[in-house]
Amino acid sequence: MKQFLWVLKFELENYFKNKSFIIVTLVLAVLAAGMVAVPSIIGGFMGDGKTIDDVSDHGNNDQTLVGLCDENFSIADIRELEEKMPGYSFDVHDSEQELRKAVETEDIAAGFIIRDKNTYTYVVNNNSFDGLSLEFKEAFLLQYQQEYLREKGLTAEEITAVSKPEIVSDMEVLGKDSVNNYIYTYILVFLMYVLVIFYGQMIATSITAEKSNRAIEILVTSVNSNSLIFGKVLAGAVSGIVQTVVILGSGMISYGFCREAWSGQLDFIFQIPASVWAAFACFGIMGYLLYAFIYGMLGALVSKTEDISKSASPIMMIYIASFMIAMFSMTNSDGFLVKICSFIPFTASNSMFIRISMGSVQWWEILLSGAILFASCIAAALLAAKIFRYGTMMYGNPIKLTKALKNLKQQENATKN
Amino acid sequence: MRLEVKDLRKSFGEREVLHGISFVVESGKALGLLGRNGAGKTTTIRILMDVFKANSGEITVDGRPFVTKEFQIGYLPEERGLYPKKEVAEQIIYLARLRGMSAKEAKDNLNYWLKRLGVEEYRNRKLETLSKGNQQKVQLVQTLVCNPEIVILDEPFSGLDPVNSQVLKDVIQELIQSGRLVIFSSHQMSYVEEFCEDIVIINHGEIVLSGYLKEIKREYGKDRLFLAAEDQVPEILAGKITEQFADLLQVAAVKKDGVIVKLLDGITKKAVLGRLASADMELEFFGNYEPSLTDIFVERAGDQV
Repeated sequence: MKQFLWVLKFELENYFKNKSFIIVTLVLAVLAAGMVAVPSIIGGFMGDGKTIDDVSDHGNNDQTLVGLCDENFSIADIRELEEKMPGYSFDVHDSEQELRKAVETEDIAAGFIIRDKNTYTYVVNNNSFDGLSLEFKEAFLLQYQQEYLREKGLTAEEITAVSKPEIVSDMEVLGKDSVNNYIYTYILVFLMYVLVIFYGQMIATSITAEKSNRAIEILVTSVNSNSLIFGKVLAGAVSGIVQTVVILGSGMISYGFCREAWSGQLDFIFQIPASVWAAFACFGIMGYLLYAFIYGMLGALVSKTEDISKSASPIMMIYIASFMIAMFSMTNSDGFLVKICSFIPFTASNSMFIRISMGSVQWWEILLSGAILFASCIAAALLAAKIFRYGTMMYGNPIKLTKALKNLKQQENATKN
Repeated sequence: MRLEVKDLRKSFGEREVLHGISFVVESGKALGLLGRNGAGKTTTIRILMDVFKANSGEITVDGRPFVTKEFQIGYLPEERGLYPKKEVAEQIIYLARLRGMSAKEAKDNLNYWLKRLGVEEYRNRKLETLSKGNQQKVQLVQTLVCNPEIVILDEPFSGLDPVNSQVLKDVIQELIQSGRLVIFSSHQMSYVEEFCEDIVIINHGEIVLSGYLKEIKREYGKDRLFLAAEDQVPEILAGKITEQFADLLQVAAVKKDGVIVKLLDGITKKAVLGRLASADMELEFFGNYEPSLTDIFVERAGDQV
């Protein structure tokens, strides 16, 4: 146990003292916190008390001066039209030439020459995607509709009441609200994918590196090989969890401070129910460890770090398949495929998590899936320890897992005899 | 302490690489484990270190089964390796702690051996920044940091310059004198002759010669003479001996400065000297042949050369 703790400490220090690990973690944590804090930062520039709604409604207090020429007096009330374009103020010109000159000299951003009630010309120096043209078109249309209704003695409310009556509806969700759960489930499954692929490779690389720099012979003669592989795999797991907690935590803390600025619009991402966290922790960690032990044993079967990606590609494909099944099942979290996959060790971590987070699942199903995954983890750990012991002193070409298992069995038989 | 290896056999797949290796080594003595490349020395050492399991055979210490983890063993493997990107002190202390040393012991021993081997200035340097010779000395520090009762050194002198070799020679002599049990594998026979009272020569996975080195040398030189003539190169001298003295001698080897001959059964040195004195040659040297370990090794393990 002492040896295991020493290996764990040493390996953890390798991760936590690694400059790239520290930089990546800090950058992602700052990025997560910064992205969540964007509305508050903008609000800070614009003055206190602004929410995301305020920001989106009145994003710019500076009035842009726009020219307008209505020689035929087609618009009854120009100020009414102006009110429909917040952020812009109208500079009325008496003639087209005057307006064009003002545009050319950039006294005004652009200009509109009104021909009649439903015809106008947009005058601009350089056409760009600034949204003014569209905004004016909408305001002009609305003005046209209002004036028409006024002429006919109708109000806009009356027309709206007929064309778009307010339908009152309500919803009672008896099971899970998969629509609201979708985003955070997606984020957590994707997070697990990144952790398994990234840290799996790191664990395999760490083991192979010790083979390629020949430190392994000193290590296996100094420490029990079980302590060695368990220490390495768990150090990878702990670092992954720490990195995740730091990044997610910084985002969540930042959201705690900026929730008002968001008007609570990100609650559905950050206010994840405890049961979902628990499912993610249990199934995520077990699934992660299962793959980590497999990556560990694959690392022991190659001698050069450049061979890892080739040796690890089958297990990576299996995990990608598990990930894809989970992604496709998010729109049908009670489907047959995801149900079956939630009891297969290699796919259970993602599939059962999705069922718990988004679908309807019985307690016995969770327990059975958890038990299968736990037993698989233990089996993978024991097998990884044996393969590690066998593979560590085998140099040269990568050894296939099937060949290693066969040789291991032969070796055990030979030693018994 | 008496370490006894009895009839070790080891196979990799269908191929048996050790065909019954046996030897004995005691505390305060060094055993020279010799053999050509691929003879089975490293496999034997790895079985001792419990890296591999033997298919059969037994290893005992004072009559009890030898369990590697019950002893502090200083092991310098043939394939040197530590963490190149780690600081020297950090990794040596880590390895010492894995072998059960307390933090204080590990630090004290580290300081002692770094100083003893003249590498204390590299304490906080990354291993990869050191020269090959200094990396080799750091390897020796990791071997000795745990106060080993048993020391197994596989080619310890490789990569060391003559000055550092002398430092290491002194260290090994101290280890032997302080009662450590030393197993020493090397191709450099002069070092083996200096340290080892006993030798084992392994060839193709089996022992071809073992025992007390002085006795082996004496036995090996028995009935052998070294002859040199002033007026004849060794090859001509060897030809003459074969032609004229075939009833007394047999040429065993031709060296650059003379010929080694073996007396035939029942022939005395006096009789040979009498015949040689009356022969047509200017005898320059006539004496007992004292074989070097290299000669013995080449003869016993050099069958495939």
